[in-house]
Amino acid sequence: MADAILTMENIDKSFPGVHALDHVHFDVRCGEVHALMGENGAGKSTLMKVLTGIYTKDSGTITYEGKEVEFRNTREAQDAGIVIVHQELNMVGDLTVAQNIFIGREFMKGFKIDDKKMIEESNKLFDELKISIDPKAKMSDLTVGKQQMCEIAKAISHKAKVIVFDEPSAALTEKEIEDLFAIIRDLREKGLAIVYISHRMDEIKVITDRVTVMRDGGYIGTLITKDCTKEDIINMMVGRVIYEEPKTKSSVPADAPVVLKVEHLNAGRMVKDVSFELRKGEILGFSGLMGAGRTETARAVFGADPKTSGDIYVNGEKVTINSPQDAVKCGIGYLSEDRKRYGIVVQKTITENSTLATLEEYVKGIFINKSEEKKITERYIDELSTKTPSADQLVVNLSGGNQQKVVIAKWLVRDCDILIFDEPTRGIDVGAKNEIYKLMNKLAAEGKSIIMISSEMTEILRMSDRIIVMCEGRKTGELDISEATQEKIMDKATRDIA
Amino acid sequence: MESIKRNAFVKKVGFNRIILLLILILMYIAFSILVPGFFGTARIMSVMNYVYFLGFLSLGVTFVIATGGIDFSIGPVMFCCGLISGYTMMNKGAPVIVALLISILIGFLFGVFNGYLVSYWTIPPFIVSMASMNIAKGIAAVYTKTQSVSWPLSTDPEKGWFRNLVSYKGFPVGLVIFLAAAAICAIILNNTKIGRYILCLGSNREAVRLSGVDTKKWEMLAYVICGTLVGIAAIFFVGAYTTVQPGYGDQYNNEAIAGCVMGGTSMVGGLASIGGTVIGVLIISLLQEGILALGFAKDIQLIVTGIIVIVVVYADVMSRRRKN
Repeated sequence: MADAILTMENIDKSFPGVHALDHVHFDVRCGEVHALMGENGAGKSTLMKVLTGIYTKDSGTITYEGKEVEFRNTREAQDAGIVIVHQELNMVGDLTVAQNIFIGREFMKGFKIDDKKMIEESNKLFDELKISIDPKAKMSDLTVGKQQMCEIAKAISHKAKVIVFDEPSAALTEKEIEDLFAIIRDLREKGLAIVYISHRMDEIKVITDRVTVMRDGGYIGTLITKDCTKEDIINMMVGRVIYEEPKTKSSVPADAPVVLKVEHLNAGRMVKDVSFELRKGEILGFSGLMGAGRTETARAVFGADPKTSGDIYVNGEKVTINSPQDAVKCGIGYLSEDRKRYGIVVQKTITENSTLATLEEYVKGIFINKSEEKKITERYIDELSTKTPSADQLVVNLSGGNQQKVVIAKWLVRDCDILIFDEPTRGIDVGAKNEIYKLMNKLAAEGKSIIMISSEMTEILRMSDRIIVMCEGRKTGELDISEATQEKIMDKATRDIA
Repeated sequence: MESIKRNAFVKKVGFNRIILLLILILMYIAFSILVPGFFGTARIMSVMNYVYFLGFLSLGVTFVIATGGIDFSIGPVMFCCGLISGYTMMNKGAPVIVALLISILIGFLFGVFNGYLVSYWTIPPFIVSMASMNIAKGIAAVYTKTQSVSWPLSTDPEKGWFRNLVSYKGFPVGLVIFLAAAAICAIILNNTKIGRYILCLGSNREAVRLSGVDTKKWEMLAYVICGTLVGIAAIFFVGAYTTVQPGYGDQYNNEAIAGCVMGGTSMVGGLASIGGTVIGVLIISLLQEGILALGFAKDIQLIVTGIIVIVVVYADVMSRRRKN
């Protein structure tokens, strides 16, 4: 441990009602990548917030470069050389790359900002990282991956010694993840200490040297990555064994009727001539890299975004869907990938959320029939085993998995036959994930048809009866689950990329 | 503190509203001590004159703020209603009842106008209401040829009867009407589809839209409700103060918004309380009366209301920051 640049010992932190961190230990050495893992709510983010001074710890010590420290805010931590690259990027979209990197400490030439010098310096940083980004480009024009590279460049420019990556790969394509890993390896070579927070088991194996696992605010243990298996880590995370078995054959009968048919759908720049069919009781997986146009396709089908052309048939009948209202009338429900923005009304109760799509059925005369409303909500709380003290709980107080269940309940109350699940398990911990999977299988068995958009290969292979692969706005492949492999899917998902 | 908050009664009425009520009572006691003769029914009736019209404005703007919008046209629109309907009655011979209906109709039309532009043309509410504020002032001035309009006095045997809506032989009829209107608003907000959708879309518009709800329609409706209540507010304004002058009305925007936000309606939308608005309006009205009674000029009222708006909205911002 002598060479640990940063050591956090016996860190304890309580919020009213929650023991968020229970004597947690964590350290990171120069020249290593140390993974911090745990289910959602395990305390990873809280620990990092304690480190960078966003929260003050109740007890424990933080030793950095041999001295005990206590940063009062992120700025102090940053000045000392500890930088967090956040999952949600903090960039100003309308400024250029260079302006973003040097924001708040612009080079000046008299009264004028010296843009030229900033561009030069940015180029130097990018050279150092061996990446090619135009410093003059507008930030909002870059892909998420490139934006993240800029964040890293910014961290380096701060002379960072410890860089914390908070779920960096969540929004990246496979190629971008590779680039990111190349950079991380490079930084490790240079002797930086890297903390890597992620849910993705395969990445942990590839990129990290050690793994520290947390569960429910407690420290569980630290492993040497190369000496442990995926199951070891998962068992530490959840305290139970989970096997992720891929589906081997479709559970949809060959003669199941087509409930949704989409023909030659075009919408915006991201959906080009997409056609597909969804059958009764089927889980149709939509695979592809980030930016392949899957979400855009779903939103266009659902009427959330306008379409340029294309026909939609529901149960064999041609329908016009120009708004979510139309889609809901056709029995289509949509679970967005971005729950907080598009799925739930966080400040409202579970009841209010559950009946949001069906309110007219719970109106008697002009009044809302609150007891009926509550009854149906409680039924679905039961059925989906949503963990909440009552139906009157505000959704903001629920965990991600339970929030997702509230959104699902909303569409089940509506009795939608076609459900579009867009990244249904994003940001949800392993245990809750399995519950969502079970639920989806149950719904399909009951005859509901599901479109599941997912960026996780294991999820696609585990859940889908049939898989549609998209790449750059086009459908590039369709595979029955019996013939689908990771390699085949990835091949189609990257076919058009030079 | 926590144990007080868990008390069943407190839970039902709301901790913040009880605090507000205490503030109201303390203010009344304070003014009564500071100003000789403040205590008593005469002052209370005078405060009530203010409460009626301001109350309707505040109730109206509560719906708009609940959607996350804002309406800075309510004061001038109220004046526009009072001017046009009054002018039609006094100079063109329309019966009183027609004048009252015209007032409500004009308020309603401004609500439709504001609501349509905000929800269907997606122009920011701030801009829309600033523009319609000017339009309201302009229309009223053109129609009345920039003359102020005086409504008939209660002694007028033919037309004075409308003042009975404010008070009848010393009985505060206006208070009864106002509280009844508040009760109806509370029911609309808490127990009907309109209120549910307004509050939900104020909290997360996209989520509501993606649930298949016609958010534009419901958002517009909030402005229409507001406009209609503004039309009613005009009746109580002229019932209490008789004369309306073209080109004014702005100061009541802030007072109405302050009453509403003080009562617990969040400026970013999604949270609203009619009961809170009622108490907020009482506080603002008592304060206006109190400031005058203390011998300060009317301009001091403006300063105080301005500061109150800032403090109250700041408190709202802070409480939300704590929650996050």
